[in-house]
Amino acid sequence: MGPLITQGIISPEWNPMIAFIVGLGFGFALEQAGFSSSRKLIGIFYGYDMIVVRVFLTAVLTASVGLLFFNYLGWIDYDLVFVNPTFLWSAIIGGAFVGLGIIMSGFCPGTSFSALSIGKIDALAFIIGIGIGVFFYAETFELLFEKLYYAQNLGGIRIYETFGISPGLFMFLFILFGLGIFWFTIFIKKKYSNRNLKY
Amino acid sequence: MNTAPIKKRYYFISALVIILGIILLFLPFNKNRNQLSAEKLLLSITNNDRFFSTDEVAKFIISGDPSYQLIDVRSEEEYAKFSLPGAINIPLSKILNKDKSGYYEWEGYLNQKVKTNIFYSNGSIYANQAWMLTKRLNYPNNYVMKGGLNEWVETILKPKQPEASASQSALNQYDFRIAASTYFGGGSNISADSSDKSNTKNNTTSAKKKKKKSADGGC
Repeated sequence: MGPLITQGIISPEWNPMIAFIVGLGFGFALEQAGFSSSRKLIGIFYGYDMIVVRVFLTAVLTASVGLLFFNYLGWIDYDLVFVNPTFLWSAIIGGAFVGLGIIMSGFCPGTSFSALSIGKIDALAFIIGIGIGVFFYAETFELLFEKLYYAQNLGGIRIYETFGISPGLFMFLFILFGLGIFWFTIFIKKKYSNRNLKY
Repeated sequence: MNTAPIKKRYYFISALVIILGIILLFLPFNKNRNQLSAEKLLLSITNNDRFFSTDEVAKFIISGDPSYQLIDVRSEEEYAKFSLPGAINIPLSKILNKDKSGYYEWEGYLNQKVKTNIFYSNGSIYANQAWMLTKRLNYPNNYVMKGGLNEWVETILKPKQPEASASQSALNQYDFRIAASTYFGGGSNISADSSDKSNTKNNTTSAKKKKKKSADGGC
């Protein structure tokens, strides 16, 4: 059956509309989880608040377990699911820069917009910064970044294919890993809770 | 997290996820479930829905109908020597080429709902292969010119006069073909493979790659 748009069950013209609705939900969830607070987001790096890690792990586990069950029930065709191609070096270097940006500002691109929606001035500064960065990158792409961008194209790879194990086994290991992190962060939180940080 | 009841919920959820994980461990993983099944593919190969006759193609070209796009799947050299007016060149060997970012290079032309694509080659075989590839990828609106350029030469450029006892429709078809062959600069007495035929392709356009990208994700 799925993916609904690729299979033509929902026409592609609906794409922006669906993105809009999902985006509203995503922004609302971010804001409700308190991610529009840069102190909360930055907590991972200083180790006093791991809620972001837990929320993301919960989302990833829910989605991936759900997808595998969908696959078993024949509701989704894995071959038609779009997998972003992996460009090794741009992923590593770009990832490092994004991480640096998050530490410096306390926002990730998504949370900055939900923070702006509740009227945070620093989020506005962050978004203007994104705009300038995007403009600089786009204008100098062919000059500076093109070689780096396309280096080491591994294609649309999946981890379980790379390791040569079944998706079910990989999922099981990933669940163990995720739960391990989950409980570990709760343990850390306990240790730091006596600090009583206020946002 | 500071209160006990929430903690209890965490234990419950952890147990649930582990149970789901164990179930997944033993469930079979299905691949290609929703791709075109062998039966469906066979059905669409054996029925003749995908074919346009040379007469129909000639009509499209003469009327200048913009909703049809001829696609020459022969090599670039052959395309440069002779091609039908308005045809673009996507060699069969390059149809599945991926560009630098890993997307199908020609997807913008082949996977779309605006135009009706008609593949042609010298005979039917390569055009059929191109059609098969696009069919397997579930691209809509791709068709084949039946008989290819060989048939084109025989029917449009050098039409044979039907016998006097032939049906009226056959005679009408012959009249159309005579007119078409004049339009395409052939004339029934000029051989189609003579080099002056190449001047018919002065309004061919070379294909530019259109990109059709899925949206990238982000946090």
